[in-house]
Amino acid sequence: MTLLELDGVSVHYGRIQALRDISFTVNEGEVVALIGANGAGKTTTMRTISGLLNCSEGKITFAGQDITKMKAHIRVVHGISQAPEGRGIFPGMTVMENLDMGTFGRKDRSGVAKDLERVFDLFPRLKEREKQYGGTMSGGEQQMLAIGRALMSNPKLLLLDEPSMGLAPQFIRQIFKIIKEINNQGTTVLMVEQNANQALAGAHRAFVLETGEITHSGTGKQLLEDPSIKEAYLGVG
Amino acid sequence: MSMTDGPTPMQTVAAEQAAEDREASLKAAGRSDHRQPGKRRFGNLSDRWQALSRQQQWGFLVIVVVLAYLLPLINPPIITTEPGNNFALACFDMARFALIAVGLNVVVGYAGLLDLGYVAFFAVGSYCAAMLTSPDSPYLHIPYLWTLPVAMAVTMFFGVMLGVPTLRLRGDYLAIVTLGFGEIVRILATIIPAMKGQVGFQNVGHPPGTAVDGTPIFSNSNGVPWYWLTLTIIIIVTLLVGNLERSRVGRAWIAIREDEDAAEIMGVPTFKYKVWAFAIGAAIGGLSGALFAGQVGFVNNQKFDVTTSILFLAAVVLGGAGNKVGAILGGALVSYIPLRFTAIAEYKYLIFGVALVLIMIFRSQGLLPARQRLLAYGRTAMNQITSRNGKEPTDKDNPSAGPGARAVRQKGAEA
Repeated sequence: MTLLELDGVSVHYGRIQALRDISFTVNEGEVVALIGANGAGKTTTMRTISGLLNCSEGKITFAGQDITKMKAHIRVVHGISQAPEGRGIFPGMTVMENLDMGTFGRKDRSGVAKDLERVFDLFPRLKEREKQYGGTMSGGEQQMLAIGRALMSNPKLLLLDEPSMGLAPQFIRQIFKIIKEINNQGTTVLMVEQNANQALAGAHRAFVLETGEITHSGTGKQLLEDPSIKEAYLGVG
Repeated sequence: MSMTDGPTPMQTVAAEQAAEDREASLKAAGRSDHRQPGKRRFGNLSDRWQALSRQQQWGFLVIVVVLAYLLPLINPPIITTEPGNNFALACFDMARFALIAVGLNVVVGYAGLLDLGYVAFFAVGSYCAAMLTSPDSPYLHIPYLWTLPVAMAVTMFFGVMLGVPTLRLRGDYLAIVTLGFGEIVRILATIIPAMKGQVGFQNVGHPPGTAVDGTPIFSNSNGVPWYWLTLTIIIIVTLLVGNLERSRVGRAWIAIREDEDAAEIMGVPTFKYKVWAFAIGAAIGGLSGALFAGQVGFVNNQKFDVTTSILFLAAVVLGGAGNKVGAILGGALVSYIPLRFTAIAEYKYLIFGVALVLIMIFRSQGLLPARQRLLAYGRTAMNQITSRNGKEPTDKDNPSAGPGARAVRQKGAEA
């Protein structure tokens, strides 16, 4: 079943067009990856879906509802949660306070403790560090915190913007395993990645974004084996 | 980008985590050293405060408050501003500044919105009190005490009027717009005939009551009753703001200050909360303006220039943006120093400039950093999350070998 649908979405920064007529769908239960080079519009796509940017044309549908004009903080209540690029945690708040902020839009207080348990199960490290300030943690821990915080709103769709950015290779693998685990627990994941290799290996389906347009699409495996993708994104000539 | 793929031996991951650990602790140490070199001394103070029991804290606060009330009567020798300035009036001026700083602290300290035109709200409050009580004003006259809530309501309205169109801007742009707003209000007071420009309004009202000899208690020359009134208002406002700060609203403000986009995608209606911060800050500024108008008894367009705005901001930054006690301290100091050291009063902007530069270098978060307050939140955040269905889900599993780690290991084996 289709969870998220972008239909002909264009986004402008002033007069500069960042996204041109983007259309794709994310089905319930999938892991979908968006890959592309710097400036291809990956983060713009994410911010448009989460509502931080308005689209100038097109339509976004989520769970059967038109959310094109919906404000970002209301989209959270409807089940879209984002772990932003560059982690975007609150540096002056402790781990626990950060996680608490993730529940801000929630009305059902009963499920919160359960979700906290889930986050601590996925990231035992966060539990060890619950009193540490977000800004004093390492890059990997901040990434865990950003994902954990996004999960605290119990989303239907988790948006991950560059989850592997700036992390050590060993740690990247661990993050991708955790993403898979999150997906196995029933959360649909849409991620944006420069680390195409790992992203394609972990994704059911993927799209390639080039200068604001989708140029390739297919299953993760198909794209991994596509010679032009190999050349452009996988570092194999 | 790594080309190797496949199962990861947990040992390597563990080693990686250990390395990250070290890196993080180094980073933490480095950061706190860099930001707060004087932290050890003051840090001990705040630690000691946190360690006190609730009763001890209250007891200490009561003593401080009683001493604050007695301050103009005791007139302590070295601290006094006499003979240069009447000490009771100086106390009122300090209280007035402290109240302004508490209000501006809501805007700048909590919500992180740089307002360079805060004096405009102070001016609106002053004019409200003046135009509703002064015999020079042809309009409706009401008892002075009623002008306090009216001034708050009117400035709140102005806060919303300014906030709704401008709070879509961020950072520097917002600062520039507020700077402009401050000037607009001052210039309007000059050019609108009804505001009487430099001529102003004389004999602004004051609270009722006469002493035994028939003179009014709240006279322009006697600072003590005005000081007590303002101090009482500061205490009430601080308690109310403190409650807001610990509530959902306070959490939203801090999140906005730390990262506005992140706050929005956590479900915080950032625009709404920013307008609220503006409105509440404006109301407190207006209240202070109305008190000032009543005490001085005269309002014209001369006291609401941009340097006054900067002085207010200096008070908040000096005391510690985001800490209401710090704001009170900063406000009182900014008013007190030129009154006490009259010989250097002429150079007060120079001195505050230098003081601000030094504070930024050696103690960038102000005399009383906001951290203290956030710590209090930390205590409650844990309870808030965990007590929601009456159990402590956190001490159940062993963190070092949690199911998450197990899940990762299984996935690793599968891959």
